[in-house]
Amino acid sequence: MIETLAPVRGGRGVWLAASIGLVMLVTIALVAVAVGAVSVPLREVLSALTGSGDASIVAIVRDLRLPRVLLAGCVGAGLAMSGGALQGTLRNPLAEPYLLGVSGGAAVGAVLLLGAGVSNPLLLTLGAFGGAAAATLLVAAIARVVGGSGDTRLLLMAGVVVGAFSNAAILVALADSPPERIRGALWWMMGSAADATWPSLTRVALAVAMLGALLLWWARDLDVLVLGDEPAAALGVDVDRAARRVFLVASWLAAATVAAAGLIGFVGLVVPNLARALGARRHRPMMVVSAIYGAVLLIAADLLARTLRAPADLPLGAVTALIGVPFFLTRLRKLAP
Amino acid sequence: MLCVLARFSRRSQAAGSVVALTVVVACGGRVDSRANRVPYDSSSASPTFSTAVAQADTDDFGTPLPTDAEFASRVVSLNPTATEVIFAIGAQSRLVGRSRWDEFPADAQKIAQLGDGIRPNVEAVLGAKPTLVILYAAAENRAAAQAFKNAGVRTITLRVDHIAQFMSLCTRLGTAMGATERARQVADSVQRTLDAVRAATRGAKPVSVVWPLWQSPVLVVGRGSYLDELIEIAGGVNVFHDMSAPSPPVSLEEIAKRNPDVVIASAKTSTTLRASGPWRAVGAIRANHLVLDNPALSGRPSVVLGMAAVALARALHPELSGSLP
Repeated sequence: MIETLAPVRGGRGVWLAASIGLVMLVTIALVAVAVGAVSVPLREVLSALTGSGDASIVAIVRDLRLPRVLLAGCVGAGLAMSGGALQGTLRNPLAEPYLLGVSGGAAVGAVLLLGAGVSNPLLLTLGAFGGAAAATLLVAAIARVVGGSGDTRLLLMAGVVVGAFSNAAILVALADSPPERIRGALWWMMGSAADATWPSLTRVALAVAMLGALLLWWARDLDVLVLGDEPAAALGVDVDRAARRVFLVASWLAAATVAAAGLIGFVGLVVPNLARALGARRHRPMMVVSAIYGAVLLIAADLLARTLRAPADLPLGAVTALIGVPFFLTRLRKLAP
Repeated sequence: MLCVLARFSRRSQAAGSVVALTVVVACGGRVDSRANRVPYDSSSASPTFSTAVAQADTDDFGTPLPTDAEFASRVVSLNPTATEVIFAIGAQSRLVGRSRWDEFPADAQKIAQLGDGIRPNVEAVLGAKPTLVILYAAAENRAAAQAFKNAGVRTITLRVDHIAQFMSLCTRLGTAMGATERARQVADSVQRTLDAVRAATRGAKPVSVVWPLWQSPVLVVGRGSYLDELIEIAGGVNVFHDMSAPSPPVSLEEIAKRNPDVVIASAKTSTTLRASGPWRAVGAIRANHLVLDNPALSGRPSVVLGMAAVALARALHPELSGSLP
């Protein structure tokens, strides 16, 4: 497994993958802004983006579609970077925030508030973030207490345990809730970019930019960590400290995306593996390529979510799971002895 | 049922005492204060129950309905509409339990609360020693209905998504509670008000409306709901009438595309919608064409359906105020 993640120089292939990804990102974003229930010619879409044209078209493009597309892009980028960092620090290509209890912790924070009747988006964001932060610390603490060191397998197992506990806590919290709150909480847990607003987009964009930059800054540590504890220590890296801080920041990055769009699984799993398959083996280029393709994937998934069963919106988490599960099974098969 | 309960719970918070005072027959009120052609006599402290026998009929789970008041000595109603009708026909003295969603009329709060109406706590209900349990006809209640049957307790399971189902519920409960005449008067009173509103709005230019019930996800009134019927009676056209579910989920952009003249919303929801960026995509929101709904009247299919239709017609067609009941 370590070999799978071993960094090698990507060379020109990485830049090509990144360039193609950027072209795809711009294209899919334009398509997503142009396509919807209301048919709007591309020329009018472009003029609406600048604020000119029919008021209803401007409102649809600028207040409805554009924040939604950008939110999906930010969330996709954040989840993919988080997944890439977690895979690096845990040295496991199947690690991702959804499977590590981080998303579950965020869900507990938000669902507890939803169950209490809180609907303020900012409070829900803080609740999700607090829940994820608590889950992350709990996972790290369990792994430390049980193993006495930063054993990555223990972190994974602790994540699964905390995720299961989070699910149980959510069920208990919702057991006595009125049906409409249960439906609202379920909708949130299935993930969606439909509630995108400019303020929620701003929050998640800032979080992705800042936490993502930190992860890129520490990417070299991840390259060394993958070599193994002893070689990393020999190269002057404090293994425990490096693993812990990357784990925490990657988890909080995932929490910020969960707070903005609910639970969306498998993006953090699929995209970093795709980036490595495209030649981005070192962590910094891998996370940059992951961010680009994560944004592409989630914008495309959201486009499917709002067009496949129109006029209803499909849960975004369900669409990404439909894409991610076959991929996950393929990876498992490859990893099998 | 989820939607019905959702409306109950959500709107009940906003519900004032006005409705309760207006509709509770046993408290001396009438079904509909504006349509009082058939005020039913509620002056009697101990109503005289009729002994009329109805034809054999089955409930929505196919169980034969009682043909007289044989099982009505101790009744638990876990169906909010049924509870309200039982009060309206003056049979509330038979009630020994209700669900926690049965909040109307206000006096219903005095009845022992036995938990949820969907997947009820069978043991808690049996603890009230009922002779008859009235359930909502949701699939999740089949096991409970069977459990009551096994315990020797009679059940009546009824769905109330449409106005016709409300009328049918009145008739059936009237028979089961031994108050057929009062039940007929309640149903007739509501029906007459609805007919009067329909007649008043017949010539008016229909107003196209969307009626959001929930915002995340966005749920709107569809053809499967009594609210769709209320819109039509009040001189409106539901832009989502083509959708058969009672409260289908739709995208905001679909609402923008269908471009309704007005958005119907409660005062609290209206404030939220006006402040929402995404909802600005809907022309009626940008133009501030919001019609205030009174959840205390429209929040459930009940004895205040007539009043709900009058209020909605006044809101959609202020020019008709003089001709409405």
